[in-house]
Parts: sequence; C-alpha cells; structure tokens
Amino acid sequence: MSDEKKKKKKAINRLKTMYPLRANIDKGYERSVEATKAGKPTAWSMVNWWEADPILKAMDIEIVYPENYGAVCAAFGKAQAFLDRSDAEGFPTHMCGYARNCIGYAAKMKELGEIPSEAPMGGMPKPMLLLCSGALCDARIKWFQALGRYLDAPVWTVEMPHPGVEESQMPGVREKAIDFMVKELREFVVFLERLTGRKMDWNKLDEIANDLIAINKIWYDLNEMRKVRPCPMHSRDFWTCMNASLFPAGDPKEALRLYQDMYDEVKQRVDDKIGAVANEKYRMIFGELPPWHALKIFDELAERGWNFVIESWAYQAPKPMDYSKISDPIERIATQTYQWLTGYFEDALKEKEYMGYFAYPYIEWARTFQCDGALFHPLITCRTATNHLILAQDRLLSKWNVPAMIAEGDIVDLNLFDYADTMRKAEVLEEMMDHHKKVRQERGLEW
Amino acid sequence: MTAEEKKGIARAKEIYQDRALRAKELKAEGKQVMGYFCLYPVLEVLTAFDIAPFRILGDMKEPITKADACLPTVVCPFVRSAFDLGLKGRYDFFDGVVMCHSCDIGEKASHIWRIYLDPSYYHFLDTPHTVHKAAQEQFKGQLEDFIKTLESFTGKELSTDKLKEAVEIYNRQRALVRELYDLNKSDPPLVSGTEIIEIMVALMSIPVDEGNDLLKQVITEAKERSDGPQKKPYRLLVWGSVIDNTALIEMIESVGANVVMDDTCVGSRAYFPVVETTDDPLDGLAYRYLVELKCPRTFWEAEYGETKKDYIKDLDSRFGYVKDYIKEWDVNGVILQSVRYCDIHGYEVPGIGDYLNHNSLPNIYIEHDYSEGALAPLRTRVQAFLELIG
Ligand code: SF4
Ligand code: SF4
Repeated sequence: MSDEKKKKKKAINRLKTMYPLRANIDKGYERSVEATKAGKPTAWSMVNWWEADPILKAMDIEIVYPENYGAVCAAFGKAQAFLDRSDAEGFPTHMCGYARNCIGYAAKMKELGEIPSEAPMGGMPKPMLLLCSGALCDARIKWFQALGRYLDAPVWTVEMPHPGVEESQMPGVREKAIDFMVKELREFVVFLERLTGRKMDWNKLDEIANDLIAINKIWYDLNEMRKVRPCPMHSRDFWTCMNASLFPAGDPKEALRLYQDMYDEVKQRVDDKIGAVANEKYRMIFGELPPWHALKIFDELAERGWNFVIESWAYQAPKPMDYSKISDPIERIATQTYQWLTGYFEDALKEKEYMGYFAYPYIEWARTFQCDGALFHPLITCRTATNHLILAQDRLLSKWNVPAMIAEGDIVDLNLFDYADTMRKAEVLEEMMDHHKKVRQERGLEW
Repeated sequence: MTAEEKKGIARAKEIYQDRALRAKELKAEGKQVMGYFCLYPVLEVLTAFDIAPFRILGDMKEPITKADACLPTVVCPFVRSAFDLGLKGRYDFFDGVVMCHSCDIGEKASHIWRIYLDPSYYHFLDTPHTVHKAAQEQFKGQLEDFIKTLESFTGKELSTDKLKEAVEIYNRQRALVRELYDLNKSDPPLVSGTEIIEIMVALMSIPVDEGNDLLKQVITEAKERSDGPQKKPYRLLVWGSVIDNTALIEMIESVGANVVMDDTCVGSRAYFPVVETTDDPLDGLAYRYLVELKCPRTFWEAEYGETKKDYIKDLDSRFGYVKDYIKEWDVNGVILQSVRYCDIHGYEVPGIGDYLNHNSLPNIYIEHDYSEGALAPLRTRVQAFLELIG
C-alpha cells in the first residue's frame, strides 16, 4: 500500500466499537432473510420510527423494509432493471426511486411466481402484510396501495399526526394526537390478531417497547457528546450504526449492549480530547443520506480538516423524555414516536421557526454543535428529503452565518452525484466558511 | 357592457381573469379575506366568522422566478407557482391563511409560506391520512382548535346557528354545481369544459352567497343560449391533479372533443360531496371533509380490516364513483393527467388505468409541468388517443 493510500485510510478515526455493532445489524438481516425463507410470516413495512415495529416484533412477524432494500439493490447495482420494469408498468418516472425499485421487483416476482434470481441478498419474500406509515411522505402510503396490482397482501396504515409548530403547543393537541395514535395502534393489534390467528403477547410488547426506548436514549446521549471539540465521532460511524436504532435491526438487547460500548468509547475520546478527524478545522452538518457509493469523499474532506459532527433529523433518535409513568406499552410507543416527530417544536416556536422538523433541527444544531458549514445532499427522487433544504440553507446563513453547499444526488441513481464537482464546491465553501467565521465573531456569536 | 354589469358566464370569465377583483372590493368594504390551500380547510367555519375564503391557486402563465429561492425545482410545480405568486405580492390582500396537510409538499410549503410571507393569521390543519372512526374524531378535534384560533383572531365567538347557516348555504352551492354539471349530460353539453374551469375558479374567488347567485345566472344562461358547445364525437372525462387554468382543457377541446366531466379538485371533487345535517355541525363537517372528499391523498381500503386484498374490489372502492360519472355523463374516453412530481396522483395512474381497462373504457395518461409551453407535445398524444377511440 502506498503512503498516500495509508494516509487516506486514516483520515477518519473510526470507532472500534462500531464494528461489532455493525456486525450485529448484519447478523440481524441474515437471520431475518433465513427466517422469511423458512416461511415465517413477513410484513413489508415502511420505516415507521418505532410506532409499528415493536408491535410486529411482539407478534413474531418478521419485518422487511423495502426502503432499505432499495438501497441494497442500488448498492449491488441491481436497481436499474427494477426501475425500468416500474416505468414499463406505467408508473411515473419521477416517483421515489426506492418505490420504483420495489414496484419493479414486485411486478417481476408476480410474473415469475418466485423471488427474481437477480435480487440481491436473497430478495424480499412474499409478504402477508403491507404496512404503510403516515409519517412524512406520501409515497409511504401510495406506494404500498399501488402494490395491490402485484400482491394480494392486505394494506394497513399506521397514522402519525403532523401538527404545525404553533398548533402543536395549543392546549390538548399533544394529548389528542397521542390518544389518536393509541386508538389506531390498538385497532392495528386487533387486526394483526385476526390476520395471524395469534394473540398479542403484551409482556413481550412491554419489554420490546422498553428496549427500543433504551436504545434510543443511549444513541441520543452518545450523539450529544459530539458537541465537544474536537468532535469524537464522525458521521460515517453514525450512518454505519444508525440502523440498530432506526429500523431497528439486530437483536435489541445486544444492540443496547453494543451502543453502551460505543458510548464508553466516545466518552473516553471526549476525556482524552481525541477527535474523529486529526485536525478538526471545519465542524460540519451533513444533510440527508450520504452518497453511499462515494463515501471516500469524506476521507478526502477529512484530510482538509472537515469533521462531520451531526446529520439529518429524520435518522436521529428522539429527544429523551421520562416514560416511566406510562404503564401502557402502546401509549409508551405512541409517545416515543410523537416525541421524535415534535421534540424540537417547542424550541422552534420560541425562535419563530415554523418548520419544526427537518429544517429547524439544523438551525438549533448549527449553534449547539458549533458548526461552520453544511453539506446538503438532496435526493432527487425523495422529495421529502429535499423540499426543506433550500429553506435550511437560507436560514442557516441568515441566522447564524453558517453557509451550506448543495451537491445533488439520488437514492438509487448513483450516477447523479458528481464527485469532482462536489470537491470543487467544497473549496469554495471553505472560503465562505472562513469568511463567515469572522462575521460570526464580529456578531459576538459563541463560535 | 361595463365591467360591473357582466353576468353569468361572462362574469365568471372576468373573475377568472382577475381573481382578486372582487376580493379587493370586499376588503375595501372592510370585510376580511382569508386564503386557504387545497380542499381541507373547512370553508363553512370561515364563512360563519364572516370571513370570505379565497382559494390559493397558481398561475400557469406566470414564470416561476421567486419561489426557487425557497423551494427546490423538483417539487410540485403547482405549489411552486402558488408560492411564487405569494412572494410576488399577488396575495397581499389576505388577512391570513389556512393551510392543511393535503400532501407532503402541501404541508411543507405551508410552513415555508408562513416563514417567508409572515401572515397575520396562520393555521395549519393536520388532516389525518385514514378515514377510520378515530381519524374522524381527531379531525373534529382539529376543527375545534381551528375555531379557537379564529375566535382569538377575530375577537368573536362562533355561534352554532351561524355555522349551521353556513353549512346550508354551502350545500346549496354544492347542489347548484351539481345542477350545472348535469347540464353536460346532454349531447352536446351546454357548458364547455373550459367554461367550467372559469366558473369553478370564480367560485373559489368570491363569497359563497355571491357564488350561488353567479351559479344561478350561469345555469339559466346555459339553458337558454344558442351558442354553446358544438356536438363532437368524443365526450371526455378528465381525472387527476389540480387544473386551475383553462389551457389544458382548451387544448383538448380544440382537437375535436368535449370535456363533459371531471374528477379534479377545481371541479366536481370540490363540490359534489355535501355535508350531512348533524346536531353538532362539526360532526357532519368532519365527515364530509375527511371521508367524503374523494382525493387520493387519503388512504381508503375496500373493507376496514380486510385480511386479503382483492385488487379489483380495492379499485372499485377507490374509483367506483368515476365509473358512475362515466355512465351518467355518457363518457367515451378518459384523460388521466397529473402535474409532474405529484405523488398523490402519480401512484394512482396504473391502478385507475387498470380499473378503466377492466371496464373497457379507453384512457390515456399525460403528465405536464404546469406551464402552457409544455402542452404543445401533449396535443399530438391527445389527438392520437382520440383516433384510437375511433
Ligand atoms: S420518498 Fe423518501 S422518505 Fe418517502 S419512501 Fe421514498 S425514500 Fe422514503
Ligand atoms: S397537485 Fe399533487 S403534489 Fe401538487 S398540491 Fe396537489 S396533490 Fe399535492
């Protein structure tokens, strides 16, 4: 290996505890694929931010996330054929790339009567349930409804209220929203019992709900430590490990233990003042999912002193709160999900920022993580991940003199990301960051 | 004829061409005017507070120049256009706005509207996604909160009687719109599809009582006039995302077809469902606005809690009413259309296509970017479709 290559490899100081945590996630996937192949009842589910996952797990239903599988197909270079198939089926080409991938896959599976042989990682088995989520984008409902063309599985939608920032603080709104979610989730349990012919194991549900709350708490606390200078953990480690919380993949008890190890390692780095990047010059926000196939760009940026200290809100754990007085597991589940969705709203309202999720957290974090700039990676066919980024860019600059650059990409069309152009823009952003740092100091801001 | 004297179809056209015309007069008379987005803000509530609702629409003729600084180009161009008009001051006469969770971009653009346009009054209605009993209760609770905010904004208390009166007057409007649409069951239709758009846009730009007077004039005029639409071999229904400009329908009608029916939200979708009379008017209103409005943004299932999906049954539950329209209006072809980047309608296209094919109804899908320039290539496709119908 040349010296240059060695240097590049070391530009980001990865956490050692990240490896076993990732292995647990991967093992979880493998176990899941085996279980579904062995005929275990399987649901295709939208990512639902812990609202339905614990219920499905407690009912011993295996969960496959087609959004995640879209990323897998893209990474294996297998997405294009499924996208083409979706187009040929008459679905508009502007739709979510993950949805098109899944629709093409389902069409092919129906035609063959079995999992398409080219499907990576064993494919997704025929589901007994399609579970939509009312969270965030329209695709999370419309996509599974559209799958009725190819699959005879019933479709269920779990509701997720989206109040406005100010509306969310009106008396009774929070209680009504949680109560609504609870009612809907109880109906969901009744439905699952009918569908599977099995009874809900409430003790198991209670335990899983608690595990997920504990996982999210430690994951949140761990990420909070990234506020220190130098930041001890790079976004690369966040992305590698977020699935244990977000999906939640892997054995939960094991995930909790591994997150604890990771917490300890990060804490040690904080105490020892060890950064994830050797000479942290720019503390950065990353907006949206990274270009998975071009992650080496972070090494190159790390060599220039860029340390990515925080990422998009949608993949983060909710702000911790006290759940100990909520004895009903369904209510605890609903409360945690609602907390994830609206956890930043109260602060947003104080600052008269009305996009309480997606955009506002960036504004808060720019200050609390003392960021110098942001790299936003809008995903062309995921409009939900994209439609607030210009707003965030504008607000970061006007409020905190934190400039952001935009490098377009996509979730499945990996060619859209222009590596060289992004590096060129990065150089320009550095000049802007240097300039705005001075302005912030002139304004008397803390960083 | 002076501007003030125009009546019926000409008056509708006049308002269509200058939507703020009447609203600005009302403002000068001291009346409050409130902008609203999409179909979910409950208009009866605004009217009961003596506020004139005014639907926020876009303008296909106006190039989008300002919105790009706040919204990416890869989102619904209708929303971008509406927001662009807001930024250009076209909606400066509003006393406030009522927004809703129509779709993802509708929701996000609402918050962005608040940030950049800073209206004196703003309320966001978080319309649920499902129509289950719990969702209806949730929506009713939201209407109660909406009323509270208006009470504090206007300093007035809402009277149930006034709300009931508002329900009645809107139901009258809905009945009149039905009557208007019924005129198009004849061959030739009595009102062109282009005129229908002008009338619908006008209705969404003036107070409900004035709208009712306008509708009565239009209906009488359409029945009496001799220069209405000509008989043509193709009687089409247009389905899909918002059409608030005549250009698309004009193009379709210029190639030898009559657009006799629609299923869009500046059309029958906005007016056909009525509000049932209930002791607490909010029950009837919540039901009508959440359950009865047939927009694909809402999640429907053929049977609550079904454990097996029957595709055709599912389609029938979602699009059965379109089949009824086709029969009643004697339609022989369907144009499925959507603006680009509209997920709500985009995902429906193969499904509704399947349903129409299953019922042997010719159909075609066209997509456009909400600009007049984009319509030219579509013209050839529509012509080819008509030839196919034969
Ligand atoms: S549009 Fe984005 S958020 Fe929605 S399903 Fe697709 S990838 Fe997920
Ligand atoms: S046209 Fe579609 S994307 Fe645009 S506002 Fe309407 S439903 Fe939403």
